[in-house]
Amino acid sequence: MSYNLGQPIGGAFQSPNDHKHHLGPMQRIEAPMRRYSPDEEVDYLIVGVGAGGGVLLQRLARGGFRVVGLEAGPFWDTERDWVSDEKGSHQLYWEDMRITGGANPLTFGANNSGKGVGGGTVHWAAFTPRFHPSDFEVYTRDGVGADWPISYWDLKPYYELLELEMPVAGPAWYPWGDPHGYAYGAHPMGGVGNVLIKGCTSLGIRVSAGGPVAILSGSRNDRPHCIYRGFCIQGCKVGAKASTLITHVPDAIANGAEIRARAMAKRIHLGKNNRVTGVSYLDREGREQFQKAKAVVICGYAIETPRLLLNSACNSYENGLANSSGTVGRYLMAQAGNVVLGRFDELVRMYKAPPAHALTEEFYETDPKRGFARGFAIQTVGPLPIAFAKQMMAARGAWGWGMRRVMMDYNHWAALGVLGEILPWPDNRVTLSDERDQFGIPIPQIRFSLHENDKKLIEFGKKKTEEVMLAAGATEIVQEARYAHLVGAARMGKDPATSVVDAYGRSHDIANLFICDGSILPTQGSANPGLTIQALAARTADYLISQGTKVFNSDQRDMTPPPIRRHLSPPGTHWKGVPRVA
Amino acid sequence: MKPNERQPPRDPRTHQPLPPCEQPGYYPGFSTLSQQSFWDAATRELVRKRVHDIPPLRFFTPNESKMMEAICAHFLPQDDRDDAHQIPILPFIDERLHQKRTPGYRFEDMPPDGEAYRLGLEAIEQMARANHDRSFLELSWREQDELLKSIHDGKPWPGAEEIWKRMPIYRYCGLVIGDCVEVYYAHPWAWDEIGFGGPAYPRAYFRLERGEPEPWEVEERRYEWLAPNESVSDPSEPEIATHKEHPPAGQGGTH
Ligand SMILES: Cc1cc2nc3c(=O)[nH]c(=O)nc-3n(C[C@H](O)[C@H](O)[C@H](O)COP(=O)(O)OP(=O)(O)OC[C@H]3O[C@@H](n4cnc5c(N)ncnc54)[C@H](O)[C@@H]3O)c2cc1C
Ligand code: SF4
Repeated sequence: MSYNLGQPIGGAFQSPNDHKHHLGPMQRIEAPMRRYSPDEEVDYLIVGVGAGGGVLLQRLARGGFRVVGLEAGPFWDTERDWVSDEKGSHQLYWEDMRITGGANPLTFGANNSGKGVGGGTVHWAAFTPRFHPSDFEVYTRDGVGADWPISYWDLKPYYELLELEMPVAGPAWYPWGDPHGYAYGAHPMGGVGNVLIKGCTSLGIRVSAGGPVAILSGSRNDRPHCIYRGFCIQGCKVGAKASTLITHVPDAIANGAEIRARAMAKRIHLGKNNRVTGVSYLDREGREQFQKAKAVVICGYAIETPRLLLNSACNSYENGLANSSGTVGRYLMAQAGNVVLGRFDELVRMYKAPPAHALTEEFYETDPKRGFARGFAIQTVGPLPIAFAKQMMAARGAWGWGMRRVMMDYNHWAALGVLGEILPWPDNRVTLSDERDQFGIPIPQIRFSLHENDKKLIEFGKKKTEEVMLAAGATEIVQEARYAHLVGAARMGKDPATSVVDAYGRSHDIANLFICDGSILPTQGSANPGLTIQALAARTADYLISQGTKVFNSDQRDMTPPPIRRHLSPPGTHWKGVPRVA
Repeated sequence: MKPNERQPPRDPRTHQPLPPCEQPGYYPGFSTLSQQSFWDAATRELVRKRVHDIPPLRFFTPNESKMMEAICAHFLPQDDRDDAHQIPILPFIDERLHQKRTPGYRFEDMPPDGEAYRLGLEAIEQMARANHDRSFLELSWREQDELLKSIHDGKPWPGAEEIWKRMPIYRYCGLVIGDCVEVYYAHPWAWDEIGFGGPAYPRAYFRLERGEPEPWEVEERRYEWLAPNESVSDPSEPEIATHKEHPPAGQGGTH
């Protein structure tokens, strides 16, 4: 039979058995990691080593600080722990219980957040567009949402740095927002990308193909190029897709950082003089420990960060630590992620190629003619069979023989995702429920409801995406409502009465308590947030390094912008790649 | 399941049942498992276990299991597969509930998953008795399919109003069907059926465009089939968005 093309020479592929810690097939952690004892007072204790935490840990270690990262999940050995399998990858997601409600309840787990070193960047699709300059002044321009305490231009140098550190592959010319080009070559098209290009082009909509995505199109140092196997959301075992686990964590460890895996932070302690003294956590054996630190940075994701603050309430902060404004847990945002699925007469085979490989931001900015503020992007997605079956269940009511039939047509379908900006609303909120988890910590309760502007935006975005799908030649379309990319819930701002942290992530209430993850975003644009979260972390790191020991022994709040420290990039990343326009 | 209870799909010309086979679907001869030595060892071991180590039933009682088995056979029928190629579904749902694994959330109007499953069984039994004076397992195949369709459509037969007040019917349905597809489409035989290439590390895919097969994949060979006579789950017009007032939000990650 034609499929039987023999066996690999030398027999079935085996895992390396060199007893090293593998990050992808080639990268290894060679030297043993430095360890601190809990009663040694470290400089910075970072809670959560994900998108924000991973970059911050690396920068602070390089800056010479004594840093420990507490991470609730495992420290992955990708060769041993990860698989090329949809159902077998649940361990990558945060699957501890969360209670979800409101008019439009969010779903979590596989749909929203990660657990383990690398956090959400382990299973993200790795779309890495920048935010637009308009995103930083939504209130000024449109009278809705909020302004950021910083502008696009403050963050731009960090976008440029992170795009090289991950690095990001993309077109030589990217026309939207602040136009720019990418140093690393764009990817070839898969079936879904071709659908997006064809549909957009026939409607006169500009489209970006082959990026921006944080996936290697060519091998670089000890990381191989993409092999187009389409399992990005299951963790890229190949090591082609960037995650802080493989881009920043090895350098952090080489520079003396400790990562304490399977350590679940429970409570931040407040000592004398309104300063935090450390964090109590449950170690891998379930024993409660306390790690002393001169300063604490929370990087736990938009649910766990407010949860930890709320659970750290004490006499001085009865409503939650650093919550004198009452905004901890509020202004939680998710992007509209409606998926439009189209059936084509010809085959697509959408499981090949990274799900993320083409997009358009043509509808990103406010257009008064549309009757709502802000906009959306349209992006390729490539659901694997289980995700697709669940979409057919939700979008088409498929079950029984109807399910079997539509699934036999899996290879005829293509999927496009809307990525729409939902505005920050105070009632979209994380609180603590009465139930407790396996550690005895109150389970978070999340309420999420769409408001008028959000509903209009989603309706419009859905219709536009359907038009694109039809213009590409789809003969049948269905769509599924979905929300993704949680941010907000501990937002930054100039006014301590309406925000939790300042422009550098320092809590307004407590001078040695910081937040550095997606929860500080005041608005979210319609760009995937991962690049922005990591760029903000690099900026916070520059600030902390400039402040030196002042953070540890003074309550003074110096807002002088720090110089940009390009030499803190992981080795071999800065000033590499082919320089492009812009 | 005894062969005489089978409800296999039919040939559209003759309306005769199509004989159960090893591999339904449009990719005859395609076998992902034949490629397993090209997979990495961790994935190979995981898939091997899935095919060969079927977990024992520990969550459901024997009686509950019988009923659940029947329900799974409607939500995800396999009567086109021969006896040797049935994909076990219930043992993996049972394992998840036994291990108290959650998908990472619970809707605030829902009980915990295990309780939801038990409430569902109770409701289905009450509906069967209220409408046919018989237990669910004593209903004809058609009657069972119609009862479950009424749940799927959000217009349940009378008899279990109290339970549906405590547990939104569309969420219950999403939970059970979602779990069934999660098990079925994780099986390599299901990948063969739908022409999904399966694991591809370290070897790559390289024919990305125009839906073209890799050398070890096969071309599509379509055939027409009709759902079994007794089945009501394959509408000729798909019922899009059955719950307009409660569009369920997606559960899977995409972008
Ligand atoms: C399927 C999917 C696809 C996505 N695709 C994209 C994409 O294409 N582009 C993009 O930009 N974004 C994408 N995202 C979103 C992106 O992954 C997140 O926005 C990002 O990772 C959030 O960063 P963070 O630093 O806020 O939190 P995370 O990266 O989630 O990191 C938080 C870390 O903190 C740990 N933690 C939490 N609480 C505690 C505690 N109490 N004690 C110890 N540790 C703790 C967690 O285990 C985790 O490792 C995707 C997400 C999903 C689910
Ligand atoms: S498609 Fe590329 S980036 Fe995605 S998992 Fe496969 S090799 Fe990694």
